Amino acid sequence: MLFIIAFQSYAQISDFNHIDFKKADSIALANSEEDLYNLPLLAYKLTSDLDTEAEQFRAIYFWVTHNISNNYSLFLRNKHQRNRFKNDSIKLEDWNYNFKKKLFKKLLKKNTTICTGYAYLVKELAQLANLNCEIVQGYGRVSTTDIDNLNLPNHSWNSIKLDNKWYLCDPTWASGIPDPNTNTFKFQYNDGFFLAEPKLFAINHFPIEKKWWLFEDSTPTFADFLGAPIVYGKAYETLNVHNFPKQLHQDINISEKVTFIFKTKKPLKTEDIIFLIDNGSHSKKVKPSSVIIEKCSLKIEHLFKTKGFYDVHLYIKNELVSTYTFKVKN
Amino acid sequence: MKTAFTLHQTQNLKTLTFIGLMLMTLAALNPIYGQTATTTTVKTTTNERTIKGVVSDETETLLGVNIVLEGTTTGTTTNEKGEFTFPKKLKTGDVLLFSYLGYETQKVEIKDNTTFIELKLTIDSVTMIGALDSGKPYKSKRKN
Repeated sequence: MLFIIAFQSYAQISDFNHIDFKKADSIALANSEEDLYNLPLLAYKLTSDLDTEAEQFRAIYFWVTHNISNNYSLFLRNKHQRNRFKNDSIKLEDWNYNFKKKLFKKLLKKNTTICTGYAYLVKELAQLANLNCEIVQGYGRVSTTDIDNLNLPNHSWNSIKLDNKWYLCDPTWASGIPDPNTNTFKFQYNDGFFLAEPKLFAINHFPIEKKWWLFEDSTPTFADFLGAPIVYGKAYETLNVHNFPKQLHQDINISEKVTFIFKTKKPLKTEDIIFLIDNGSHSKKVKPSSVIIEKCSLKIEHLFKTKGFYDVHLYIKNELVSTYTFKVKN
Repeated sequence: MKTAFTLHQTQNLKTLTFIGLMLMTLAALNPIYGQTATTTTVKTTTNERTIKGVVSDETETLLGVNIVLEGTTTGTTTNEKGEFTFPKKLKTGDVLLFSYLGYETQKVEIKDNTTFIELKLTIDSVTMIGALDSGKPYKSKRKN
């Protein structure tokens, strides 16, 4: 009974371990020349040869995340205008309406969009394939989010019902990130956002509607959400559960150990774990004081030798996974 | 005891007879419905016709609206004037799906007298927003 409850509250990709998504992925890739002018036909081409709901949805999700680019200039313009009109509901509504029309034209003609465009397209194609899919509107938080000015919802993702159970995914963040040199979008598919673990997802996705947490015990408050650690895209590929710390920031004493507890997707080695610690003037790579690994459980402890304010970046296998800050006092 | 049992049985019998009669009545009525339906089908199959139409939103006609016969891949799209001629002859009861990116998909059922469809699509009510995942390491705001 306990097992069933736990199973239900953690609807995620591991429910489909028995399914090989290769066929769905290859169908999506084979249709990469298709455009968006005929959505019913596209949905048909992507799903008609697949038997399970999970595979049908996978083909749609894989197609969208590999063929639709994220448009930064549109994103910046929308963010700017929405902030400008945030206290004028009529102007905000006008802007939203006109921007939406423009955005759908861009999506249709240039295969480029912003978050809601991704979530919208995933939903439309899924519904055309008779799958139950919804857009979830809410707040997304990443390393560069200005949390002091997070007044309006800024992100959209999807919830999808497969075999009578709801799952979460984020097609926008799965599709890629900006090239750090050119600041233009670069496709870089991240599989971690497909049917993601809801509690990990909750660290940087705050839905407006409570039902989309997909778990009922201890759902975060908005303050919890704003105070949570920073998790990066790679966390979704590496971690299954982020248990501890629950906050981005902690004040500690110099003799006090700090503890990090995770469940990883695959067993790791001690040497896979490294901290990059930034004291405000320079940063250096540091081995944590202790790393305990038992199968997929990972416990890290660390002792700071000098007082100061530190940004601690956790790297697993040379990939940035999460960030925490500590004020270490005497 | 015995008398009570028999009485109970008689009641049961009465109930059964009543149900039986009801069922017979239903059975007697059923073929009538069936006949009506058959007549309609015969009438419509002989009434296949070409459907034309025009699609717009609240301000202008729409180019490239998809029109598909439900349950098939047979379809067409609207031209620059928002007009279409469906490539297959349709009959009463067929359903056309009108879809256009950003607008709510609409179903239109072909009625006995349908030959021309004038349809207005409404833009989806979703608000467009977007947050980016930059992958850049977080940097604390330091006061000094």
